[in-house]
Amino acid sequence: MAGELVSPTPALRGSARRAAALKLLRRRLIQAVPLMLGVVVINFCLIQMAPGSFLELMTAENQVSDPATVALLRKTYGLDDPVWMQLLKYIWALLHFDFGFSYRQNMPVIQAIWIHLPATILLMVSSIALAVTIGVAAGVVASMKVRTFWDSLVSVAAMFFYAAPSFWLGIMLIVLFSVKLGWLPVGGMMKIGGNGGVLEILHHLILPTLALGLFYAAIYARVMRSSMLEVAQLDFVRTARAKGLSRNQVTIHHVLRNALLPVVTILGVQMGTVLAGSVVIESVFSWPGVGSLLFDSVSSRNYPVVLGIMVLGSLVVIAANIAVDLIYMWLDPRIEIR
Amino acid sequence: MQRFEFLGRFARNRGALVGAGLILVVALMAILAPVFFPTDPLRIVGLPELWPGEDSEFPLGTDSLGRDILAMIVHGARATLLIGLFASAVATIIGVGVGAIAGYFGGWVDEIAMRAAELFQTIPNLIFVLTIVVILGSTLSNIVIAIGIVSWTPIARMTRAEFLALRDREFVQACRSMGMSDFRIILTEILPNALPPVIVLSSLVVAGAILFESAVSFLGLGDPNVASWGRLVGDGRQLIRSSWYICAIPGIAIMITVLCLNLVGDGLNDALNPKLRDR
Repeated sequence: MAGELVSPTPALRGSARRAAALKLLRRRLIQAVPLMLGVVVINFCLIQMAPGSFLELMTAENQVSDPATVALLRKTYGLDDPVWMQLLKYIWALLHFDFGFSYRQNMPVIQAIWIHLPATILLMVSSIALAVTIGVAAGVVASMKVRTFWDSLVSVAAMFFYAAPSFWLGIMLIVLFSVKLGWLPVGGMMKIGGNGGVLEILHHLILPTLALGLFYAAIYARVMRSSMLEVAQLDFVRTARAKGLSRNQVTIHHVLRNALLPVVTILGVQMGTVLAGSVVIESVFSWPGVGSLLFDSVSSRNYPVVLGIMVLGSLVVIAANIAVDLIYMWLDPRIEIR
Repeated sequence: MQRFEFLGRFARNRGALVGAGLILVVALMAILAPVFFPTDPLRIVGLPELWPGEDSEFPLGTDSLGRDILAMIVHGARATLLIGLFASAVATIIGVGVGAIAGYFGGWVDEIAMRAAELFQTIPNLIFVLTIVVILGSTLSNIVIAIGIVSWTPIARMTRAEFLALRDREFVQACRSMGMSDFRIILTEILPNALPPVIVLSSLVVAGAILFESAVSFLGLGDPNVASWGRLVGDGRQLIRSSWYICAIPGIAIMITVLCLNLVGDGLNDALNPKLRDR
């Protein structure tokens, strides 16, 4: 999605750049509409495909057996309408952020998700920050010391973290840092009876961030290394060297910025997998986010919440992709993004 | 001749060779599981929570119920590998189908296909898998199909790119002028030429599928009749204070298998594009 290259245009400055960014934002928002519609239709199809009617399952779960209530529910959910009418009604409801009601939490689905969202966003942001920092640093070191011990070390570490299942890595981190060394908490977001201070939350955030972030750090390290090596062969780098700049100066000021572009592209593509990965990690660390809510809802077959998380999760991914496109534009003003 | 060159280039890559060797071992283990451990691996055979090496009869120890971990790992290899292979096959069939049609016909067909790929990339993959599994039921076939559905987009993009590059070449034009049908050109003329890079990608999708399946099973949402490696990690989770090896061992098995599949995929890739090898 991010960064489809079109013909390079001269670098824009100041207000022109802001106007271009706004134009991009508008175009992206318009493109997001059919995408969201697609997600909703897939959701609707899943409901229709459920064995037995959606309502039967719901009434069974909530132990409703009174025929009058069932008839009323049939009417409220419009199950007697033709399928296309049901779809339109469903879309209409979602447009008003009406995702239904969760009896388990005894609140509207949207509210249940909303309460859990900040914890997940915190985990996602810290994991991505960790992944980008470690990945870029490791990739740069490896590319500057090609075919040395450091290069091999980065390659081997990246290979292992790229293959390790995140939930397993999380458990192993708990065994080492919580059970054996006793340095870090086993799970949760704050101590029982804790006041939820910033330091307390950060203390609890370290292990889940490592478990989720190291996988992506491995990817970024590999991409960064090859991208640095590729950019280092371009003409403008030779020019900068010929101008008399030192190797380190050229690497940091000229190569690094250009080599970052593929990392940003991948970051955008992977936003959805980071969100999905947090589901597993949250369950390992009892992190009170959307992942824990999803796991609880999946186990209790609380469909409205599961489907709501799928729709809102896709929305978060689309928003994150737009943000990545804007970052891309800021990093490389030559590129016009379709 | 070309084929030997390809094999030679692959064999020069030490990592890929080691990876291929280990994959072969895991595959043999899966095939021969009933020969090594003819009885049910979930049977209680010894004292509970024996550490690896504590009793020579159970080299990898026993779990909380006294079941032989080695037997469970060997039998678990079957489930894990089969799910990975079938899910990758589903993803490849969908991806090649969509990508071939998009790349060959172009225009609005291409536009729709690529928007669909974008759509499936937007929905967070594991959340999608869990939703499908929970609504349609946690059977083996549903899990395989669900993983295939979230993994086909890279294959479709790759196939499309190959088709775009090939569809106007002389041999295709020749077939068209002979009056060959589009369907036949796609299937018998372009597809064989487009396939090698796609197969490499499929091997990487197997690795991804194994990770997906292990996460689903770890969360306790896998097929209850199948003891895959992910489920073994999940089962051992309660005992990390006393016997963390119960969790560690199946995780290492997953990691080694995925690592080797990645090495083989990289090796195939390098052998296909020798120019890119030093990146």
